[in-house]
Amino acid sequence: MKKFICTLLAICTLLTFASCGGNSQNETAEFKPSLDTKTSCNITVAGSYENFEALEAEFDRFNEFYPNVRLRYVKLDDYNNSLATVLAGNDKPNIFFSYTWMIGNSNYDQVSAHMEDLSDPSLKLNLDCIRSGLINRDAENRVLMVPVFSRTYGMLVNNDLFKREGVAVPTTQAELMTACETLRGKGYESPMMGYSLKSSSCFMYTVAYPMFVATLAKNPEALALANNLDPEAGEYMRPALEGVKRLIQNACIDLEACDAIKDNYTQVILRFFEGDVPMMICAGDTVSGTKKRESQSAAFSGAPFDYSFAPIPMTADGGYFIDSPSVEFAVNKDCDNLDMTNEFMRFLVTNKELNEMASVKRLVTPTADLARDSVYAPFGKIPSERTVLTEVLGIKDPLTAQIRVAAFKVGRGELTVDEAVAMYGRLE
Amino acid sequence: MKNVVKKTWVILVNVFIMLAMLTFVVLYSDFENRKSTQRQIEHFENTTITMKHVTENYLEGEQRICDVWARYINSEDLTIEDAVSFIRISHVLPNASAHIVYLDTLSGLSTKARQGSTDDYSVSYARLDLLNDVSWINDIGKSINISRAYTNPVNGEQSIAFCNSVTLKDPGSGDPRNAILLRVLPIAELEEKWIFPREKFENAELSMIDADGNYIIKGHSFKNSNLFEFYKSYNVLDAAAAQELFGKITSSTGSLKMRNSRGEECILAYTPVAATEGWTLLSFIPMNDLSVNTENWLLIGFISVGLLILFIFDLAVILVFNKRLQAAAREAASANKAKTDFLSTMSHDIRTPMNAIIGLTAITEKNLGDTNSVKENLRKITLASDHLLTLINDILDISKVESGKLNLSPQTFSIVETVENLVNLSQPMIKEKNIEFNFRVIRMEKEYLYGDRLRLNQIYINILSNAIKYTEPGGRVSVDMAEEESPKEGCVRLTYIVDDTGIGMTPEYMKTMYQPFSRQTDSRVNSIQGTGLGLAITKQMVDLMGGTIDCQSEQGKGTKFTVVLDIPVADVQREDMKLDPMDVLVVDDDEIFSETASDLLKSLGATAERAGSGTEALEMIANRHKEGRDYRIVILDLKMPDVDGIETIARIRAEVDPNLPILLTSAYEWSDIEEKAKEVGANGFLSKPLFRSTLYDKINKILGTEAKSVEPENDDSDLQGMRILIAEDNDINWEIISTLLDMHGIAAERAENGRVCVEKMKSAAEGSYDLIFMDIQMPEMNGLDATKNIRALESPWASSVPIIAMTADAFSENITECLNAGMNGHIAKPIDVKLVIKEIRRTKEEERK
Repeated sequence: MKKFICTLLAICTLLTFASCGGNSQNETAEFKPSLDTKTSCNITVAGSYENFEALEAEFDRFNEFYPNVRLRYVKLDDYNNSLATVLAGNDKPNIFFSYTWMIGNSNYDQVSAHMEDLSDPSLKLNLDCIRSGLINRDAENRVLMVPVFSRTYGMLVNNDLFKREGVAVPTTQAELMTACETLRGKGYESPMMGYSLKSSSCFMYTVAYPMFVATLAKNPEALALANNLDPEAGEYMRPALEGVKRLIQNACIDLEACDAIKDNYTQVILRFFEGDVPMMICAGDTVSGTKKRESQSAAFSGAPFDYSFAPIPMTADGGYFIDSPSVEFAVNKDCDNLDMTNEFMRFLVTNKELNEMASVKRLVTPTADLARDSVYAPFGKIPSERTVLTEVLGIKDPLTAQIRVAAFKVGRGELTVDEAVAMYGRLE
Repeated sequence: MKNVVKKTWVILVNVFIMLAMLTFVVLYSDFENRKSTQRQIEHFENTTITMKHVTENYLEGEQRICDVWARYINSEDLTIEDAVSFIRISHVLPNASAHIVYLDTLSGLSTKARQGSTDDYSVSYARLDLLNDVSWINDIGKSINISRAYTNPVNGEQSIAFCNSVTLKDPGSGDPRNAILLRVLPIAELEEKWIFPREKFENAELSMIDADGNYIIKGHSFKNSNLFEFYKSYNVLDAAAAQELFGKITSSTGSLKMRNSRGEECILAYTPVAATEGWTLLSFIPMNDLSVNTENWLLIGFISVGLLILFIFDLAVILVFNKRLQAAAREAASANKAKTDFLSTMSHDIRTPMNAIIGLTAITEKNLGDTNSVKENLRKITLASDHLLTLINDILDISKVESGKLNLSPQTFSIVETVENLVNLSQPMIKEKNIEFNFRVIRMEKEYLYGDRLRLNQIYINILSNAIKYTEPGGRVSVDMAEEESPKEGCVRLTYIVDDTGIGMTPEYMKTMYQPFSRQTDSRVNSIQGTGLGLAITKQMVDLMGGTIDCQSEQGKGTKFTVVLDIPVADVQREDMKLDPMDVLVVDDDEIFSETASDLLKSLGATAERAGSGTEALEMIANRHKEGRDYRIVILDLKMPDVDGIETIARIRAEVDPNLPILLTSAYEWSDIEEKAKEVGANGFLSKPLFRSTLYDKINKILGTEAKSVEPENDDSDLQGMRILIAEDNDINWEIISTLLDMHGIAAERAENGRVCVEKMKSAAEGSYDLIFMDIQMPEMNGLDATKNIRALESPWASSVPIIAMTADAFSENITECLNAGMNGHIAKPIDVKLVIKEIRRTKEEERK
């Protein structure tokens, strides 16, 4: 008994010391204001999101250090087209959404000209907290934008449904086919579903894109051809397009059922929350809307279930983790209150804040702490050989448009795989 | 146990009351706070409504401008260029602009050039989801057609637009073409003007939402792009309740509580904006800004601590008071018991001598024929009367002590007489108890002092009589009186030490021995007569005289009292006393006495030799006689161990010198040995202790007269023929005094009151009376007034005749009154005939001088 008590006391003591040590480490990692905390100014973040509560929560936290700094998020209409005008106008934002494809795009030279080099050591931004593959550097090795969310492609899995039906969540193509067949036998007419009415964010693209990019990743020459929209690159789409076609042909996906989903975001989520969809194919951006809509779904509120977001297992080894930036922040170097703007960026670009913001938004965090959100945990298990870093590869936007249209049209039966392959570079 | 339970209850009740008070304060404060907050919320709502009116006026004003433009454009059949030119002319606001876009292409012209250009006025709303559906734009003048906040495609500023449908003339075909006129205002400018009154609600913010909850204008604290989404993000609400709540917000005026993004409780006031398409004005403020904090926790905390301190203080005070009250109650009970015991004792002590007086008087009446019996009874009655008198005096004194009326009446007196009186008074008891008694006086140079003789006498007598009383037969009582220098100017310090081998006192009793009514509980003490007041009175008197009294006692071994008093020296002292040079032999086994006597003789100019016994004295006298150098006088102690004083005198007379003057000294009463001493040839008697003056007088007297026998003490020849006028209204008293005086050969004449006395003095021939004894309390005229009248008589003899008060008013202040009235002395009733005779002689002597 004495030994037990002594051991218990020793453990308590060690834990106390350990917790003290832990606290001190946390304290050293805490953000420390470098400017006058009484500074009063306005900072505007402009973006394309309709709303950005996760960022607004960061404003509140930043105000704990700088209570007199008023931060606001502004959604710009026709973002991509109006951004240059806005940056040059009287109402120019301090920080604005930016995308990799803007770099080197002559249409966005004016926009790029406003971007501050965030790798400047004097800014003291902790860029190391972001997964290295997500950081894009321009020809001058500048970092003009930092990702605050990353994007990937996969499927929402109703884990409880699989458990209930005694079916294992598939991790390979074979398992996927078997699971779909089993589920279909259990009355699930469309074991997999997704948005199918338009090409934007349609399930066909979500299935095909990772496979296409993964194929290109293995062949740098093909990547160059694909980026240049060379028709020869069309052949490299074939495995991806056949994968889409196979899912539909094997009745893993009932297209008619998918057509009942009227938009590519809210309706996708609400349909999944009905509880009778084992797998809902969507992009990570769609997953970001799940948390808020849990309460909005009467079905989910009535019968909640455990779900996660997993790679679509389209190969014998499993699915791919396409790790690409979703939203990136650039600092307008011509804005008012640039010091405080950089201070906010220094505050934001940390493991803690980026994770927190990703958690609120339920998007994939750009930090290495992928498993932090249980919904995205399956992506944390994907080995590096099946992880594709699009920024590292240098995937360009026109390429994505080609595969999106091709996959959509093949999926809907508007084009055959051969026709789609042949039309690469000319698909609109 | 019961006390503990009671105390616990008292504490619990106090704590309960305290808690109840604090709870009431907190609840009342909370109630007031809530009421006040509710008033603030109502005020906030009203301000929001006021803001709505202001907003409506503003929006209507802006819309009216747009309406005027639209009416003009529609009425003038203008092309888009003309319309824009018209607006440019009428436009006055620098930051505002106007756009006109065709409905079919959603493109058109702006009154201001595009950002970064000076001549590009084109504008397109094609990519903005703003004008795709224009059903919200009503006919001109029908409503306020205001857009949501959007990004101005011309300059990128977040703006709102007041809109109207207009019809333009197509510049190419000339056909009418539908377009939308937008009067565009930057939100930043609007937000600067459109603020909540800061003086009222500093942190309040305004927003405006459309019927779907989307912000038209968004305040800083409003999150999301939609109020309802914002609400749901930070507040828990089910779908049905949310639907109801949001319907209420967009259709009525009121307020609700909600959490903001920081989790703070806020008030959201809402009111619909008239003339708009389901718009609602919102005002938002943190609840803390509306809460008037009447819950002053510092005050409550202060009150709590104050109450607690008060409670503890009261508790402590009550406990202390309780203890004191208990102690006082115990003391009161003890005092009450002491008084009861005292009264019981007094009753007993008074009744005992009274019983003796009454009983013996009755016996005497029945045995008048038996002279011896009458004589014995009268002696016993006298003793009982004396004791009764002492009792009464003590009771009166203690009553004065307790009432604080004990005052001193200083007068010039002789300390020698005081000591003599002390010795005389103590002699009977000493003799009765056969106690060894020594009274030594050391260096008494100042005979006349100025003080309250009676009180001093009382102090000394009380202590000495106690010593004698509580010393058992065969014991010893010694008294030492010394005169020392006093630190007080004009005073001498008298140290009076009475040491006995009596029963002593217990330490417990010594703690309370100076308290009235206290007597030691001792079987031996109970058999001793006493009032239990003596020491209390003594202590009070010593304190009153500024002196100290100290007591050392051990039970069974004895007691030693030391009284130290600083007494002023009287102005008048006896003249220098010097004897002719002579040799004197002092014979005493008491070395201290021998030394004192020798010192006194030396100070008088004589040479003293000392002998420690009768045998030695005899030898020394014989030797001197042989040498022809006889001692001039021998002072011989009566009691000596081998050969006593009587025998020594006898042998001197027989063996050496029959004429050698011999003074016999003793601390004891003379009556027993007086006859025998005279027979053997003693020339005189000298009482111990020896005083310089008495020694001087006695030696002079013996040597001057060379008398061979002592002066007859009861010789009344000097009193024969005296005539005394006695003012006395009481017949019995008159009879007593007149009889007593008559026994000493003094003729007495009565005056029935003061007035008669005065009249008699007025009419009396000179020398008719030698003295007047004056009673004080008499009808018609009291003794004091009578004295004053007599002193005021014209006749020198009458006005100066000695007057002695003879009254039952025995207090010192009464004596002072008498002396102040012009009297020459005071005798207290009941009278002691010896004192009366002594007073008469004193008066006569003074008269003679």
